[in-house]
Amino acid sequence: MVVGQGWKGSRMTLLSLILREWRHHWINALLSTVGLTIAVALLVALRMTTGAAERETRRVMRDLGFNLRIIPKTTDMDYFWTHGFSDQTMPESTVRTLADQSGIFVTFNHLTPALEGRVALAGASAILTGLGETIVSPHEGRQPMGFRIKPGEAFLGHSVAQRLQVKKGDTFELAGKKLRVEKALSESGTDEDLRIFTSLRDAQAVLQSPHRINEIKAIDCLCLTADQDPLSKLRQVIETALPEAKVLQLRTLADARARQRQMAEKMAAYATPLALGFGGTWVGLLAWLNVRERRAEIGLWRALGHGSGRLAGLLLGKAVLLGLLGAAAGFALGTGLALAAGPSLFQVTAKSLQADPQLLWKALAWTPLFAAIASLPPALKALADDPALSLRAD
Amino acid sequence: MAQSLMSCTGLSRAFPAPGGSIQALDEVSLRVERGEFVVIKGPSGCGKSTLLLTLGGMQRPTRGSVVFGDAELYGLPATERNRWRAREVGFVFQLFHLIPYLSVRDNVAAGLAESPSKTPRSIDDLLDSLKLSDRARSLPNMLSAGERQRAALARALVKNPSLILADEPTGNLDPTNAAIVFEKLSAFRETGGTVVVVTHGHDTTPHASRTLEMEQGRIVRQSTR
Repeated sequence: MVVGQGWKGSRMTLLSLILREWRHHWINALLSTVGLTIAVALLVALRMTTGAAERETRRVMRDLGFNLRIIPKTTDMDYFWTHGFSDQTMPESTVRTLADQSGIFVTFNHLTPALEGRVALAGASAILTGLGETIVSPHEGRQPMGFRIKPGEAFLGHSVAQRLQVKKGDTFELAGKKLRVEKALSESGTDEDLRIFTSLRDAQAVLQSPHRINEIKAIDCLCLTADQDPLSKLRQVIETALPEAKVLQLRTLADARARQRQMAEKMAAYATPLALGFGGTWVGLLAWLNVRERRAEIGLWRALGHGSGRLAGLLLGKAVLLGLLGAAAGFALGTGLALAAGPSLFQVTAKSLQADPQLLWKALAWTPLFAAIASLPPALKALADDPALSLRAD
Repeated sequence: MAQSLMSCTGLSRAFPAPGGSIQALDEVSLRVERGEFVVIKGPSGCGKSTLLLTLGGMQRPTRGSVVFGDAELYGLPATERNRWRAREVGFVFQLFHLIPYLSVRDNVAAGLAESPSKTPRSIDDLLDSLKLSDRARSLPNMLSAGERQRAALARALVKNPSLILADEPTGNLDPTNAAIVFEKLSAFRETGGTVVVVTHGHDTTPHASRTLEMEQGRIVRQSTR
């Protein structure tokens, strides 16, 4: 013990005082840590599972296909519905024109140029679908949806593959062009079974329509269900951005996607304030009890000449330390819960669910601040209370 | 001629109470000379603890002033008043008010909040003189009442203050420990310190240079040895 330098020169640093008080009132400290741990664990697990749900949705939707079809405005709709594609074409650059429109990705995403046409193959007809490079919002690091098909390769619908009796790695000829089967798709029960998917370049060559497309496939970002009338909004945007085109929405797919998205958002909207409210109330209540129990001690520190700053440091420093501990424990618990529940919740993307170090840093930064804010009202009250009242004998 | 350490003039303090207010101090004026041992006596609730805490800069009076040296205590900003208290005043309380999670040694060290006005005393010597050396590492809940009060006294003495304010320091002690406490306070006075003790007992009179009696917030009698 260093005498003459005050307690600041002794072993009694602020941290040491906080830790000793913590050990003395260990039940209060433990309960506070548990409260923060639960709140952080809920948020971490929610964040991880929401992210996984989004990935899962994206994968499921990718398998389902795009839900918007942007076609030339002059398309004969009888022909379109009869044949499954537009009889009109537009320049391939149209997709870039659309993507370059300011704010377009608020409404549309995963813009994929396509050229479709009927072709004869092995004595029957099939629909050739050439898919170009997908353009995604530049602000999102999302993987493009849809197939990515290299030139010279083809994905074959189930019926086509059966008709040609080919499997992955085999080659076949289409209008004089040799293509290698990259994938034989499983039976879908839709017209996909009759389709041949190739790169846009190959389809343009086969259909003799260089640099032309007859459709832009896309996903809508509004995520509104049918009763919320998303189509009129989509049409308004296309009318302004691409007057030579019109948009069709595959409502069943769009609704499924919107519902999934809205459910995840609703869950987050309820669970986040619930976790924050629970954590804040819990820590605030325990801080109040702690301060109440320490009234005489606080009065004594005052009598010894310690100022409000040091006392606030004692009270709020404890909250900060509890916050750090709760953040670390909550991150571990939340991550563990999400990883444990992942495989049963997300069949397709369970493996992509993994601990996110960014969530740990965020928890370590925000939880102490949150705990300090929750402890602030009782701390301020303790500092404002008359210290003499807790020290007097009569 | 005696040198004034502190004085108070026209001190009044009222506390809110159901159906009105309680007048804890009523126009109290007092001058404390350097080196005095002042005992303030009176029944419970007569205002003596309030007077002590007001003299120590802990309780702002409703009216009146407290002057220490040339400074009017309640005219100082709170931080300055804290510093003054940390340098000049040692408190001893009836309920000891030791910090429960600190050892005896660290409780004593906690009395050194600021650089004291005089050279601080050695904690080891203090603990030794108060027969607490073997309890230095003990927590307060492991001590007897007498040991706790001696530890609290060591905390008040360690900064070598000008003034010790003791609120019923022997109220929870047996006669032997009470005698030790008063002997130590008396010894502090003999080294130039000033002591103001509040008590409702009678055993302090031999140590007092002056005794004041309070009733209903007023000083009603005064005797000097």
